[in-house]
Amino acid sequence: MTSSSASQEIVTVRGLRKSYGERVVVDDLDLDVHAGEVVGLIGANGAGKTTTVECIQGLRRPDSGRLRVLGCDPAREPERLRSLVGSQLQDSALPDRLRVGEAVELFATSRARDGAELLERFGLVARHKSAFASLSGGERQRLFLVLALLNRPRLVILDELTQGLDPAARRDVWTAVAQLRDEGTTVLLVTHELDEAEALCSRVIAMRSGRVLDQGTPTELVARHAGGARIRFSVAPSDELILAALRRLPGVADVALRAGQVTVRCDRQAIAHVGAELVRRGEVPTDLDVEVPDLEAALLHLLDSANTPTPAIPVTDRELVTMS
Amino acid sequence: MNSTAMRLIRAEFRLTLRDPLVLTFVLVFPIVTMLIIGGAFGTEPDPAFEGQNPSQWYVASYFTVVVAATGLIMLPVHLASYRERGVLRRFAAAGFPRWSFALAELTLGLATIAVAGVVLLAVAAPVYGIPAVHDVGRVGLGLLFGSIGFISIGVLLGTLLPSARAAQAVGLMLFFPSFLLGAGGPPPSVMGSVLRHVGDALPLTWVTTAIRQPWLGIGTPTGTLVEVIALAVVATAVAARRAAL
Repeated sequence: MTSSSASQEIVTVRGLRKSYGERVVVDDLDLDVHAGEVVGLIGANGAGKTTTVECIQGLRRPDSGRLRVLGCDPAREPERLRSLVGSQLQDSALPDRLRVGEAVELFATSRARDGAELLERFGLVARHKSAFASLSGGERQRLFLVLALLNRPRLVILDELTQGLDPAARRDVWTAVAQLRDEGTTVLLVTHELDEAEALCSRVIAMRSGRVLDQGTPTELVARHAGGARIRFSVAPSDELILAALRRLPGVADVALRAGQVTVRCDRQAIAHVGAELVRRGEVPTDLDVEVPDLEAALLHLLDSANTPTPAIPVTDRELVTMS
Repeated sequence: MNSTAMRLIRAEFRLTLRDPLVLTFVLVFPIVTMLIIGGAFGTEPDPAFEGQNPSQWYVASYFTVVVAATGLIMLPVHLASYRERGVLRRFAAAGFPRWSFALAELTLGLATIAVAGVVLLAVAAPVYGIPAVHDVGRVGLGLLFGSIGFISIGVLLGTLLPSARAAQAVGLMLFFPSFLLGAGGPPPSVMGSVLRHVGDALPLTWVTTAIRQPWLGIGTPTGTLVEVIALAVVATAVAARRAAL
């Protein structure tokens, strides 16, 4: 490894293991986060995501394994490390009567950036004198983001950032995280909201039972595990010649006709070819329906595969999961 | 002093001033009960009160009600609430050194006791008068170590009890017997032997005795003062260990 690439490594985890009593929560986990990445840890409840980031932050001591975070050993130098990391923890709060401005004052170290500017940026400047207890869920999460960014952290850890928020508040928080991503901030995001991971993360690590199942960009995981797209539309009995034309298109795996409705199973790129063929024939149906596989489908398939260790099913035969 | 600790102390003081539980139990309750009990037995020297003016006997006793309210109610509820809601984890994740929170609580507890004690005396002065302090050194030692002991007990309870509600329930169960038998209730000489023995075993009784006797000049209970110092040392050591300092 070259020195320049080493300097780009923000988090390096090798062989991390953590148990609570007899229960192994993280089992021989390897993980890397590079500078400027937004890495998402995804998986079902109990996958070991939160325990992993707590070990990375030095909030829990691993049973075994080697961790380097920003050049620090989290177990031996937790306070030095935490001064370099901004974090938003799952299930944590501030004192009810602490006001927004006072929270910024409390958490600001000598190298803090302008708190008022951050409050302005995250839409909280009008709530400067409001008590924490009076903030809405979205405002609280935005305040946690302000506090996480306040001391110019080199790594930001966000654990279940949008848990329990309404759709509008989630979008507000997503916009804030997208700003971080666009500014090149390194972010480790723990979530079980897969649309969140898909929208925000440059790389996603899928976990189950404390182990990494697979990792890659959201697009790569979807391509590897979610199966193909499904296109459905109605045709008149006289138009059934279209079936043969569709079968010849690149990327189309299967075309079926049932009760006047055509179902095309294909890869993502083939959606464009099918659309072009329909347009070329001047037969764009009014009930055209396209289901595109997403990260949720990929994760569900991954978890299912991990339960039943069988070879990967060919793309054409995979069951598609309807987008939610 | 480390600026992190200063920021935490400043925030904790602000929050304490906004806490109705503190205002009720640490400031208002001792004053109201002192005014009622202090006026119930007159102002003539009474053998039941070791030959002292009962009103002034109670004024000298009630300082420790403030100590008990701080250690048995305010701090346990405050800390248990922070633990229950993840506030301490957030402080830890933000890089606050572990000792800084303990220092903030010790400072907060001592300041609360000092302020509430001064307010208590300020209210007592025009009503019953403040008895002259016969032995300032012993009173100061008893108050200092008694306060440290009860603050440590408060921190210990706050780290052991699972929720703010549990801390409030346990704190009140510990506070009222201590208050009635060890500081603000009837004088020990009018209690039955069982209650007197129970009262003698209570840490608050040791602190009250270590302060009241040298204050009113009715004794120099060195043994009791040693018990109070031992209580402070042991409670502080256990609380520090429990808080993983």
